[in-house]
Amino acid sequence: MKDMIPVDRKMSTMQDSKISARGVQVYYGDNHAIKDVDVDIADKTVTAFIGPSGCGKSTFLRCINRMNDTIDVARVVGDIRIDGEDIYDPKVDPVQLRAKVGMVFQKPNPFPKSIYDNVAYGPKIHGLARNKAELDEIVEKSLRKAALWTEAKDRLNSPGTGLSGGQQQRLCIARAIATAPEVLLMDEPCSALDPIATAQVEELIDELRQSFSVVIVTHSMQQAARVSQKTAFFHLGNLVEYDDTDKIFTNPQDPRTESYISGRIG
Amino acid sequence: MNEHISSAYDRDLEGITTLIMQMGGLVEEAILKAAKSLADRDVELADEVRAGDKVIDALEIQINEEAARTIALRAPVSKDLRSVLTVLRLAASLERIGDYAKNIAKRTSVVVEMNPVSGSDAALRRMAREVERMLKDTLDAYVRGDAELAEDVRQRDQEVDQMYNALFREFLTFMMEDPRNITACMHLHFMAKNIERMGDLTTNMAEQVIYLVTGEMPDEARPKSDKTAFVTDPG
Repeated sequence: MKDMIPVDRKMSTMQDSKISARGVQVYYGDNHAIKDVDVDIADKTVTAFIGPSGCGKSTFLRCINRMNDTIDVARVVGDIRIDGEDIYDPKVDPVQLRAKVGMVFQKPNPFPKSIYDNVAYGPKIHGLARNKAELDEIVEKSLRKAALWTEAKDRLNSPGTGLSGGQQQRLCIARAIATAPEVLLMDEPCSALDPIATAQVEELIDELRQSFSVVIVTHSMQQAARVSQKTAFFHLGNLVEYDDTDKIFTNPQDPRTESYISGRIG
Repeated sequence: MNEHISSAYDRDLEGITTLIMQMGGLVEEAILKAAKSLADRDVELADEVRAGDKVIDALEIQINEEAARTIALRAPVSKDLRSVLTVLRLAASLERIGDYAKNIAKRTSVVVEMNPVSGSDAALRRMAREVERMLKDTLDAYVRGDAELAEDVRQRDQEVDQMYNALFREFLTFMMEDPRNITACMHLHFMAKNIERMGDLTTNMAEQVIYLVTGEMPDEARPKSDKTAFVTDPG
């Protein structure tokens, strides 16, 4: 990373913040997509990013596991630390980083492989299991955590793509948590799911909070209100307001937040 | 505050505000009429107040239903949520104030049969007028989103409390002077207490308006002047 902005050491090593971002700017070519964002994201907490389309919330989410590296024209400036460690340090291997910072996408995207292999893939490539028995254990544990075990245990060798949409999404969550990540990023994980599957994934998110720091981008304000403890409102690339979720939804301080969450013309 | 993207949502909220104002208008009228019926010894007017309370009660039910519908269908947040919570509480307070006015009217029909207690009718009427003005200002503050005016109402409750203290002592004196005054004084005292309670409820409403506008309930203690709870036998 070239244009490093000096950061206050005390802030970036704050005990209770898992992820700490300072002066983050993202450019897609000439488009300034994220403008000077500072944020501290707590451990074992669900943090929701909300805001209108194009506000930069997904872009910022993708900075946290360096997914923007895969886009040629994208340039990230500023300082993002996980547990005080600069994730844009040249010594950091993005593949290792992504094992630590898992991601679940909007559309369920299981590999065209069996349910078992979908979950086993990450642990295999990262060498997390020494033998088949250990791998079996990781697969079972991950599927259990993703609340998919009872439905999938008798068909582990069937293709993951044969599951229902909601099951596929839970499979993707199982796949993301199989590498024992510390942070789980979710980009609109329920937008392709029906209300029942959505409720199951939301319940799951709440359970995952025991083990991970979860960051979720959502267009559903009600979902943000239901699952998160902290909410960040993005608008035109700026982080407008970041506070406890109940505060954001009962008494937001910025009129732009108020307009957005209450569905007003703003 | 900007309009909602859904204009039907705005119409729903405006509809509930209109109902509150309608209810508030009827309650103001009930307070003034109840006090007038006592001062003029007008039993017919008192009966009118008693009958009118049914309309006020029906409006409260309608407001509750509209508020529940809005919560169910619109899932209001932030200021919209506060405004729905506020109308529920305003409606509940208005309904209680209406009940107190009705109780005054009931007692009026009994008191008119007794000897007047000098000066008390006029004092009660002054007190009722003051409360009615507080209520009017509270409703104005609600419609205009004026937290300052609501705060002003909140401070004025102590004047009502002081009027009540004075009346309380007066009634005690009258009763000690002549035990034949006791029945009338007891009724009149309950009327005064009713008006004093109306003032308290109006103050709660004003606080609710402050919450609606600012997002926070005023926590600072307001001046209280009802000292009658500590009155002892002068022996």
